[in-house]
Amino acid sequence: MAETPCSDLSKAEEILGRYPQEEPALIQVLQDVHRAYNYLPCDVLERVAEALEVPLAKVFSVSTFYKAFSLEPQGDTIVKVCTGTACHIRGAGQLVEELERQLGVGPDETTEDFKFTVKTVNCVGACAMAPLVIVGEKYFGSAKPARVSKYLTEGGADEN
Amino acid sequence: MPTLKVNGRRVTVDSDATLLDAARAAGVEVPTLCQFDGLEPWGGCRLCVVDMSQANWDDDWFKVVTACNHPVDEGMTVITDSDRIIETRRVVLDLLLARCPDTPLIQQWALEYGIEQTSYTPNPDPDDCILCGLCTRVCDHIGVSAISSINRGWGREIAPPFNQPPPDCIGCLACAEICPTDCIPFETSNVRRKIWGKEFEMLRDPKTGEAVITKEQAEHFAERSGVPMTYFETSDRSKRREMAKTFEKLQVVK
Repeated sequence: MAETPCSDLSKAEEILGRYPQEEPALIQVLQDVHRAYNYLPCDVLERVAEALEVPLAKVFSVSTFYKAFSLEPQGDTIVKVCTGTACHIRGAGQLVEELERQLGVGPDETTEDFKFTVKTVNCVGACAMAPLVIVGEKYFGSAKPARVSKYLTEGGADEN
Repeated sequence: MPTLKVNGRRVTVDSDATLLDAARAAGVEVPTLCQFDGLEPWGGCRLCVVDMSQANWDDDWFKVVTACNHPVDEGMTVITDSDRIIETRRVVLDLLLARCPDTPLIQQWALEYGIEQTSYTPNPDPDDCILCGLCTRVCDHIGVSAISSINRGWGREIAPPFNQPPPDCIGCLACAEICPTDCIPFETSNVRRKIWGKEFEMLRDPKTGEAVITKEQAEHFAERSGVPMTYFETSDRSKRREMAKTFEKLQVVK
């Protein structure tokens, strides 16, 4: 807790203002906080716990339970490589390797300039398009390692 | 008051009793790991499974339920030692033994059901936690909620927020005391106590100097009960001494 810098709490206050200050609002609030800050900063979680009158331990429990929440700062664009069965067979491994070569980070890591966070996911339900790379909101089917840099510029541009 | 049959024995229990209460009333032992009298049943360890049939069900129709949190009903039939119940418990214990291969309590229970070694791949990096949730539940029950279950699946564990010394912890040691496998480490002395990485100062009896409870614990109880702090800093020995003095005075009056 000590080494993390203080987050700007005004965004959190604005989010909290939109919901009733009670426990059932917790996940909604956390989702909005995640969207606003790109991750769940611990001082914001402390503020959420206090405002909703939920023990901090419970807030932490929920925050770590869902894959959609990250407690680490993330890049502006999330790059997901599907490693489900179909994508795995059609070369998802090489895509992960190519990303690592280009960005210098492996799965669950963020580039130093906080532009990209790479993640592997188990299945996105689009097996017919395997293998898949998802950059931000953009899906790239039949992805090839040679096109990875194109995916990054196209998908990354949308976010900024 | 509903009457039901447990392993052929007829018992009458309170209407808010559970199947586990009924089994115990009938003198039938049902193994449990995550159950503790006084805490809400949780049904987490799955060791207390029994076969249950409602009065209006076909005679041979039974359902596997957890005894600790299933309510009783008039005319129910409960069987705690059918083949499939023994087999279900065996699977549960086999899995628990895979998770905690070196934990004596789990080894004992597994052996009781004929398992010497787990048939699954044993946890390569085991600790003694069986994730029964007793520690977090007792902490919630006391009204502290300093620790909770974090992560999910393989990575699930019991931890304080951010894996840091928990700000809400009052150092009561209830979590460590209730743990069936004694896997929560702590240190306590006449002066200091340490648990979950947080240090506490002991409240000491002003007369005898004995350590009573932690300051935080006394404050927590004082606030919730309205009993003054001085009550909590008096040791049992001091209280008995005071009581003896009162009795002495009473005898003088007589």
